[in-house]
Amino acid sequence: MTTLQTLQHILKTNFDLEPEVLATDARLADLEIDSLAIVEVLFAVEDEFKVTVPSEPVAQQTSLKTVGDLVAYIDRLVAEQAPVSNLGAPV
Amino acid sequence: MRRVAITGIGVITPLGNDVESFVTGLAHGRSGIVRLTRPPATRGDDAGNSQARKHIGGVVAFDPSLHFSGPQLRMLDRVSQFALVAADQAVRAAGIVWDDIDRERCGVFLGTGMGGAETTDEGYHTLYAERTERVKPFSVLMAMSNAAASWIGIEYRLTGPNLTFSTACSSSAVAIGEAAQRIRNGEVDLMLAGGSEAPLSLGTLVAWDALKTLATEDPLEPGASCRPFSKDRTGLVLAEGAAIVVLEEWEQARARGTHIHAEFTGYGLCADGAHITRPTIEGQAAAMRRALATAALQPQDIGYINAHGTATLANDVVETAAIRQVFGNYAPCVPVSSTKSMHGHLLGAAGAIEFAAAVLAMERRMLPPTINLRVADPECDLDYVPGRARTGVTTRAIMSNSFGFGGTNAVLIARNSEGH
Repeated sequence: MTTLQTLQHILKTNFDLEPEVLATDARLADLEIDSLAIVEVLFAVEDEFKVTVPSEPVAQQTSLKTVGDLVAYIDRLVAEQAPVSNLGAPV
Repeated sequence: MRRVAITGIGVITPLGNDVESFVTGLAHGRSGIVRLTRPPATRGDDAGNSQARKHIGGVVAFDPSLHFSGPQLRMLDRVSQFALVAADQAVRAAGIVWDDIDRERCGVFLGTGMGGAETTDEGYHTLYAERTERVKPFSVLMAMSNAAASWIGIEYRLTGPNLTFSTACSSSAVAIGEAAQRIRNGEVDLMLAGGSEAPLSLGTLVAWDALKTLATEDPLEPGASCRPFSKDRTGLVLAEGAAIVVLEEWEQARARGTHIHAEFTGYGLCADGAHITRPTIEGQAAAMRRALATAALQPQDIGYINAHGTATLANDVVETAAIRQVFGNYAPCVPVSSTKSMHGHLLGAAGAIEFAAAVLAMERRMLPPTINLRVADPECDLDYVPGRARTGVTTRAIMSNSFGFGGTNAVLIARNSEGH
């Protein structure tokens, strides 16, 4: 599944939102996903994507305006937190 | 001093989830107490279920999905769900058109003993049983004691005072009494007041059990386990539910032409200042005297007392003695019943549900019974309306007693408004 598909699944489960309304340019505000709701979305994102959302990024979260922003944010978390081999890791 | 009308009542109870089924249950002496198959407020694994089967409780038959959407529900502890639905009933019954009312002069006063206990229980389960820190992000918002009152205020966009009272088993009697006071002294015009409680999660049941105050289950009939004023009483039975009343400035209520159930006239508040659990005759009697004084009534004006009547050994004897002290020679003549025998002990919601029961009793001329009173106790020697309701009884005023752990005593009085 792509990041968008997984996110659509999360939003369907948590907010009764159908995938059809969750195009990348859909605005979160129009979907009634406010800053508090984003906390819950990110909680599910942590489970689904096996990532840890840093607890400080309130400003970052409020910069998430669209479904596409959320997808990009998740992709960045996944990339940053991908397990790396110990070989060659900085010590 | 302004007068206060009771213009709406909403209830979620083990006897039914609307005023009519509640009154019918009371009139028929029905018990809402059952053996728990599993605590309704606890998601449990098999180990949890087998433990739960040891408990009895006053359970509300409640399908949250009939009242709330999925996203709403994940923000609402069971205690807030009950409160919102009871408030909705009360507001509809009162026929309130909010746009015609100054919402800055409307508020919410609610009582709860344990707040979002189910959420707390679930959080502990996640942390200690599942051994993960994946505690739900809304846990704080769901468990906080003022959540239920806040959601009601948000639902109707009321910007007057929004307060939560927590004085254990007298919480919602205090909430109603304080709300009425604010209307009397002119600070507000309309209040949604009452209480809500959802204590039937395993952690809460076990904690109460450890205090050795819970009733032993009747081996033949679990529904008969709560036996107030009976010599063979063994303790209280925990129950869940909510009751909300609409209190409204008298002239405003009259001008709206809405139905008035009764006039709120008396509120007596005091503390024992003595012991964390053991009640005092003096404290309970003082609260009753103060309520009579604020209502400007004599003991013989009271036609029915809804007793605190928990069915613990201590309460029922002390309350009987306190009623004797206040009512004197008239004490044996005033019908006193404990409806907890039927709906169980709703803790922080008890005062509100019992005040509602007493007001409805006056309005319907039906005195609800104390059921399961089978063995006379020489120390409990009043007229407890044993076994069967009395119908066709006109009362001028009713009193509802609520006494809490911690020692806060609250007594409410309402007067028959017929002919006014």
